[in-house]
Parts: sequence; C-alpha cells; structure tokens
Amino acid sequence: MHGLFKWSSKWWPGVIPLAVFWGLAAWTSTTAVEGDVAARSNAALKDSVLDKRRISVDGRDVTFAANAFSEEGRLSAVASVEAVPGVRLVNDETRLVPEAKPFVWSAERDVVRVTLGGSAPLPSSKGKLMEAAKAGLGGVEVVDQMGLARGAPPRFDAVALLLLDQISKLKDGKITLTDNKINLAGMARDLGGREAVAAALKNLPDGYSVAANDIKAPPYIFQAYKDPVALTLTLTGYVPDNNVHAALVAAAGRKFFSEKVVDNLKASVGAPSGFAAAVVPALGALSRLSTGTLVVSDREVKLSGDALYDAAAGQIRGGLGKDFPQGWQYKAEISVKPASAPVDATVCQQLFADTLTKGRIRFESGKADIVPDSAGLLDRLIETAMRCPTTNIEIAGHTDSDGEEAANQALSEKRAQAVMDYLVRAGLPASRFTPIGYGSTQPVAANDGEDGKAQNRRIEFVVK
Amino acid sequence: MAALATFFWGWLLAALLLGFGMGWIAVVHRAQGVPKLWMRWLAVLAVALVAASFAHVVPGRFGYWLDLLLVMFALYLVGCAVGSWLRDWVVSRSKPAN
Repeated sequence: MHGLFKWSSKWWPGVIPLAVFWGLAAWTSTTAVEGDVAARSNAALKDSVLDKRRISVDGRDVTFAANAFSEEGRLSAVASVEAVPGVRLVNDETRLVPEAKPFVWSAERDVVRVTLGGSAPLPSSKGKLMEAAKAGLGGVEVVDQMGLARGAPPRFDAVALLLLDQISKLKDGKITLTDNKINLAGMARDLGGREAVAAALKNLPDGYSVAANDIKAPPYIFQAYKDPVALTLTLTGYVPDNNVHAALVAAAGRKFFSEKVVDNLKASVGAPSGFAAAVVPALGALSRLSTGTLVVSDREVKLSGDALYDAAAGQIRGGLGKDFPQGWQYKAEISVKPASAPVDATVCQQLFADTLTKGRIRFESGKADIVPDSAGLLDRLIETAMRCPTTNIEIAGHTDSDGEEAANQALSEKRAQAVMDYLVRAGLPASRFTPIGYGSTQPVAANDGEDGKAQNRRIEFVVK
Repeated sequence: MAALATFFWGWLLAALLLGFGMGWIAVVHRAQGVPKLWMRWLAVLAVALVAASFAHVVPGRFGYWLDLLLVMFALYLVGCAVGSWLRDWVVSRSKPAN
C-alpha cells in the first residue's frame, strides 16, 4: 500500500494524454449522447397525453416543456422522463392546459367549408371530432381551429358528435356549445331539416339544454299552374303527407272539370299549420281563372291570372282570404280576360253542351245548394252566356228516379232556380233565363245503376 | 452514465490502458514525483469535482463533460494502480533470479 502511494506520485505524466483523450471523447460523443437521451425521453412519453410537448437535451440534462391535461398526468410525465436511464437532470417546464371558463365549442358551416372552433378537452376528442366531421359531411372541407382547454362539461364528446351530426343537416349556420347550453342558428338544408334537428336534440344527455334554436327552414312551396292551352293543371312542390296529397289531388279533380291534373307533388315534413285548409280553397279560386298560377310559400298564398269576367275577378280578389286559417296571407293579382268574340245561338248552344259534357253542376245531396267545387264550371257557363247576349236560355233541372216524383220535381225546379240565381248574381239579366224542373221525366241513361243515375242528375242549358 | 457507455466505451478503455501503461512505467521511473502538498491539494480538487458531479451543480454539457472526465480519471487511476502493482510484482519476482 505504501508502494502504491509512492508510485502514484509518478503517475502524473499520463494525465496529459488523458486530458487529450477526454477532449476527444467529449468532442465525439456529446451529440450522440444528447440524441440518445432525447429519443429515450420521447419514447418514455409515448403514452402520456400532452399538448405542445417539447424536449431539448443539453448534455444529459433534459428540458421538458409541455401542457398537461391534469395535475396527475403532469407529475407522471415528469416522473417518467426522470426515470429514463442516462438522464441526469430534468428541467421541468410543464404546465397545465389553461382552463376555459365558460367552455365554448362551436361548429360553423358556410357554403364551402365547416369550421370547428372553440376548445376541445383532449387531443383525442379533437381528433375524433375532426374524423367524424370529415366522415359525416362527405367531401366538404373541414377546418380545425379548435384549441385545447380544461373545464369541459361531462360527456362533451358525445354531445359534440351529436351537434356535428346536426351541422350536416344545415346549409349554413353555426352551432355553439357554451358549457352545457346549446345555441343553434342558420338555414336547414332540406324542408324537414329544422324538425329533424329539433328531434335529434331531444337525445341530448342529462344536464344539457338548448338555449336558443334559430334554425330556419327553406320556404315550404306548393304551386299549381292552370294551362288553358294544354288543358292541364300542374301541381308541384310539397305536401305534408300522403293523406293530404290524395285529398288535394281529389279536390283538384273535382274543381278542374276539363283539365288533366299533372301531379308532381312530393311529401315532406315542415308544412305550416292549416296547409290543407288554405290550399283547397285556393285551388278553388284558381279553378275559376282562365289561366293562372297559385304559389303557396310558407303561409303566403299568391294567386295570379285572368278571371273570366269582372264579377268573378272581384269575388276571387275579395272572397278567398276569408276562408284561410289564422296567420295566413293572401295576395291576389287578378286581371280579367278580354271578352271572347260574340257567337250566334247555335254556337252558344254547342258551347253549353260541350262544357256540361265535361263537367256537371253539383249540389249538396238532396238539396238545391250548389257546392263550391262547381264555381269554375259555372264561371265558364256564365262566360258563354255573355258571348250570346241576345239569346234566351232555359235552365233545365233533372233528377234521377230515386224517391217520390213530386219531390224530385220540386228539387229539379229548385236546383234550376239556384243556378239561375247564381247567373244573375254574376251580372246576367234575369230576363234571359227560364228555370224549369223536369224531375226524373227525361232520363238520358237507365236509372238502374249508380252511373246512370249520376248522369240523369243534371242541369242543362237550352238556348231558345 | 452507464446506459450511455456505448457512445464512449473506447475512450474509457483508452484511459484504462493509458493508466495501466503509466502505472507500469511509474515503478521504475526515475523522474521527480509530485510533492506531498501538491498531492493533497490535487486530492481535495478531485473530491470537490466528485462532489460537484454528485450534487449536479454543473449544468448542461459541462456537467456531462465533468462526469466523463471523472469516469475516465477514475479508470486511469485504476489502470495506474493495476499497472504499478503488476510491475512491482514482476520486478520483485525477477530480483532473486538476478
């Protein structure tokens, strides 16, 4: 041992090359060591959920900066870097992700893109939302402007996914989640979109509520066009359901006696209340026009076209709005068709016969009250009567053979009188008309079937 | 430090061999030894450096270089000790034969 101490005093010359070795070792290994420590530290943080992670290594010292989403997560991330073999010191520059108060998340859609903004609680939920948006919106550009923040309400992911699903139903608009309150604004893509969104929002988890739902739907449009040349009535647009659809087409068939109904209607939700109650009388008014267009847009009914004569124009302008349900508006742009050229008695008779072959004046069952559906037909008859002002016309009422003959006789007379009264109210002189009831004495078909009886119940115009 | 030895083991080995060689020579070397007072001061310096290393007071790359220096120096000393002891053993064995 003493020898060792003695010899050691002579070991110093080797220190000089040792210093050179040390310099070379430091020169060659420092960068490699730093790279290896950085790689190990990053690997150790693989499973930690962190934002803005930054690792820089100086020698064997690691400067570790990151935003963590909880205090436990932060401490465990620092501990796992400290535990990396080879690390000498950890300069802990980690922080907690700032807390958002209130916690706001939003999804905004415009013509070309969907922008997700506000805050998400975790990178994973951010990724999930972006993925869901891209999948659910099919090809629309999705822009991620979401930040990360703590303080999200519970079940945030589920709610945000549900709201994203609603964004796909909008043409444009914005959905904002503020803590657990939801605000919606914008325009629905389809007619039923507003209702679909409202229905989906009923599935929100407990604790969430809709603060404001200002989603608007595109106008609910129904259109009818009466074409006097092609003799068609074209129905386009929307009806609330198949029952209303069938009822409207049936009503059109009754009111438009000579036109073919072209039915291009589609069923859709989102109709304003009282839709059928407004559209049926509006179709009746359209049936009285020579040519015309009926446009129903939400609760606004617009009727334009040519009436057959002055009085009819007045009745159509003034009469329709009264029948409408509350909240409905009526706009009429009715002009009067120029009077047709006068004709002689023979042509007049021919025109009456033609018109009454196409349609029959209908009455309430067993009564002499003309049903409103016959208004279009009567207008056509009045117009014809106006074209032959010098003629006198016999209005002949006929019934089928059911019931007592005396009653049938009386009914046929009353019905002929009712038609005459209608013509007089339209402005024709009473002196030109003679109402006559024939009861069932002049059948035009056998009274042994429903068809035959229906043909026998009729009003005829005979030019004298 | 052990986990990182793959990056500088060659230099550690060089320090060890250098020490061994120096130890081998020192036994029969006639040069002037380091005075005792110096030895003391050098020992104090070494202890201070070891203490600084363990206390992690030297930051960053300098800290790593200090650790590297101490490890190489320790191995150099071990090499010296082994070399001197071995040379001494060889010399003392060959003496009777002379």
